[in-house]
Amino acid sequence: MSKLYEPSLPKLMEAIATEAKDMRAMDRRNFLKGGIAAVAGLSSVQMIPKANASANLPPSLPEWQRHLGPGVVAKPYGDPSEFEDLQRRTVPWLTVDAASSISMTPLQDLDGIITPSGVVFERYHGGIPNVNPDQHRLIIHGLVERPLVLTMDDLRRFPSVSQIRFIECPANGGMEWRGAQMEALQFTHGMLACCEWTGVKLSTLLEEVGVKPEGKWILAEGADAAGMSRSIPLKKALDDTIIAWGQNGEALRPEQGYPLRMLNPGWEGNTSVKWLRRLEIGDQPWHHREETSKYTDLMPDGRSRRFTWVMETNSVITSPCPENPLKQPGFLEIRGLAWSGRGRIKAVDVSLDGGVNWHRTELGELVIPKALTQFSLKTQWNGQPWLLQSRAIDETGYVQPTLKQLRDERGGWSIYHKNSIHTWNVTETGDVYNVQIS
Amino acid sequence: MFKYLRFSVVVVALAVSGIVPAGPLGIGSTATPEMIAGWDIDIRPDGVGLPPGQGSVAEGELLYEAKCASCHGLFGEGEGRWPVLAGGEGTLDTLHPEKTVGSYWPYASTLWDYIYRAMPYTAPQSLSNEEVYSIAAYVLYLNDIVEEDFVSNKETFTQVKMPNEENFFIDNRPDVQNGRCFENCADPSTFKIVTTINGVTPTGHFKEDSGVAANHYEGNPSAASGSELRIEKSVTKVALSKEALLGRGVYDKACQTCHNSGIAGAPKLGDVSGWVDRIGQGMDTLNDHAINGYQGADGVMPAKGGNMALSDDDVVNAVAYMVEASR
Repeated sequence: MSKLYEPSLPKLMEAIATEAKDMRAMDRRNFLKGGIAAVAGLSSVQMIPKANASANLPPSLPEWQRHLGPGVVAKPYGDPSEFEDLQRRTVPWLTVDAASSISMTPLQDLDGIITPSGVVFERYHGGIPNVNPDQHRLIIHGLVERPLVLTMDDLRRFPSVSQIRFIECPANGGMEWRGAQMEALQFTHGMLACCEWTGVKLSTLLEEVGVKPEGKWILAEGADAAGMSRSIPLKKALDDTIIAWGQNGEALRPEQGYPLRMLNPGWEGNTSVKWLRRLEIGDQPWHHREETSKYTDLMPDGRSRRFTWVMETNSVITSPCPENPLKQPGFLEIRGLAWSGRGRIKAVDVSLDGGVNWHRTELGELVIPKALTQFSLKTQWNGQPWLLQSRAIDETGYVQPTLKQLRDERGGWSIYHKNSIHTWNVTETGDVYNVQIS
Repeated sequence: MFKYLRFSVVVVALAVSGIVPAGPLGIGSTATPEMIAGWDIDIRPDGVGLPPGQGSVAEGELLYEAKCASCHGLFGEGEGRWPVLAGGEGTLDTLHPEKTVGSYWPYASTLWDYIYRAMPYTAPQSLSNEEVYSIAAYVLYLNDIVEEDFVSNKETFTQVKMPNEENFFIDNRPDVQNGRCFENCADPSTFKIVTTINGVTPTGHFKEDSGVAANHYEGNPSAASGSELRIEKSVTKVALSKEALLGRGVYDKACQTCHNSGIAGAPKLGDVSGWVDRIGQGMDTLNDHAINGYQGADGVMPAKGGNMALSDDDVVNAVAYMVEASR
C-alpha cells in the first residue's frame, strides 16, 4: 500500500473523535464499523460523514470524490460495501440447537438468479466440519468392479461440468402450513438458493468404478458429525447428479460442503449430501433416518409418503415483499422468482386481486432447467390495496397449486413440500404483509 | 520390444486424434478392504451391515440413562424440545401427530444405524457395537416393541418388525392439479384473509436500528379492503378481533419483554401448549390475573405487567391479543 493512503493512527483517532461528536445514535454502529476497518489499515479515506449527508448531494461535490480511494488488493478477498446489510438469518424457535438447524437466504435483498455464496441458506444436521482437502477422500465401493479411493486432485482430473441449479430445503415454507406465520420473505421462502456448480457428473465416476448389473441404489454419506446419509436411485445418478467442488467460480464454501458435495438437481436439498466422503452402490435403499423419521410426508389418514425427492414448481414475488414495501405511487415493476425441480419454467402469471384475474409476465433472459427463473410485470400502483400472487407453470405443464388444493389433499399438519401460490397483501400505505386466502 | 513399439504408436495416434479410450480413465487408487471396513458403517433393514456383538435391554437402560436421557428424557419423552423417542401410538391420523421411534419409524435398522453414526449428539461414532445394540434394544423396549428380556444381536435385531412399517408408500405426486385460468377464476366474496401471528418472526432487519430478535415492525396488517377488489367482506373475517388488534400495540409496549422470551415463567406469545390450560380458565380469570397480578406455580405475573399507567381496558385488550395469537 502506498504511503499516501496510510493514515497515521493519531490523525485517524482524531477524525473519529470529531465525527463522533455530532453523530446521531442511530448511525453509531455503522460509523464504528467504518472506524474499525480504518484502524485495521484497510482504509481510512472511505469514512463518510453520514450526519451531514446533504454535503454529498448535488450540487455539492461528494466527499468520496475529493481524494483517492484505496488501491488494489486493499482487500485481497473483497466484502460487500459497508452500506449493505446482506445476511442469512434464522428463526431461533424453529430448532433446539444451532448445529442442527437452518438459516435463510435474504431473497429480499438479491437481484438476478445467482445467490452469492456467502448468503446461501444453511442446513446442518451436525454443524460444519472443518475438512482439510488434502486429507479428504471419496471412497466408492459396494456393487462395483473397481472400488476406488479418490483425492481432490484425482477428482479434478475427470471431465467436468458447470451448471446453474437451484437448491431448496423441502421444509421451505413449512411454517406456513397451518396459517400465515412468518412476516418476511426471507422466512417464508428463504430456504432456497441458486448457484453455478462445478464438478464431475456422477455417471462419469460410476463408469470409472463399473457398476455391477444388480447395483440399483447409491448411499451418499457426508463427513460431518451427523454422518448425513441418503439413498439415491441409480437412475437419478446416471441422469444429472453432479459431484461438485466448485460454487460460483470458487471452491465450495464450508457451509456448502467444502471440499466436495453431491448435487441432485431439482431434488430435496438434503439429498445433495455435503462434505461427501463415501458412495456405496447397493441393490436396495437403506431407509436411513433422514429418509424415514424425517423428510417423509405424513398424510391426514396417518399414512406417509416416502422418497418425496422432487421439489415441485414454485414461485414468489420478491419485490414488493414485506421487507420491500412500496414507497411511492406510479410505475412499478413487480419482480419475482420461479423454479421447478422437473425442468424449465414455461410461464409465470401474476394476480393483483387474490387470484380472481391473472396477467402473463415476462420471463428473464436465462431460463435454465432446475434453476431460479426471473419474472416481471410492468404496472402502476396508485395506492390501491392488492392481494399479490404469482403462479408458475413448468415445461411439464404442471401449474403451481393453491394452498387450499394442497391442504385438501395433504391436511394442515404437513411439514415439507409446500409449493403453493403465495399471497402478499399490499395495503393503501404500500406496506406489504404475508396473508393467506382460504 | 516390437510389441512395445506398436503399443506406443497406437497411443500416440489416439492422442493426436483426440479420442478418449473407452472404459475407465485410470484415475484414482484402489479402495482397499481395510479402508472400506473403517468407513462402511451403514445398516439396512435386511440386516446387511449389522456387526457381530450383542446387547440387552438391561444393559441399554444404564447406558441410555448415562448417555441419552439428558436430552431424550428418562422414558424417551424428550427433555425440553429435544426429540421424543417413545409414545405417540395412535396419533398419526390426529391433529397432533407425535412421530416417535415406536409410532412412526418403519425399520428398527434405522435406529441402530443412526445411533451408531450420529449419537450421542456431541460425540458421534463414539459408541461400541455392543453399546449400540444395548441402547437400541432399550429404546425399542421403551416403545413396547420388545420385551424386557430382549437381547439384540444381528439375528434378533433383524427380526424386529416396526408397527408403522406398512404405512409408508412411494411418492405419488403430483397429487393436485391446478388450471391456468385468467379471468374470474375465484369468487372474491368468499375470500377469508388470514394474517400472520405477530411476535414469532425475527424481523429485526425491517428497521435499521432494530437489533431485537423477535421484534416486529409496526403497522396494521389488516386485510385488503379496496372496493376495486370487491372483497369488502374480508375485513370482517380477519383472524384477530378488534380488541386484539388494539391490544397488539399494548403488548409491544408493555408485555413483550417477558412474553416474547418466556422470562419469569411467562407463557410465550404463540406457544399453543403453554397457553391452552390458561385459556381454559376463561377470559375473566385471565383478565383478573393480568390486571391484579398472580403468583402461579411456574412464575409470577405482576399487576398490569408492572406498568400501572395502563388502563384496565388496555390490559384486557392485550390479553385478548395474546390469547388469539396463541391458540
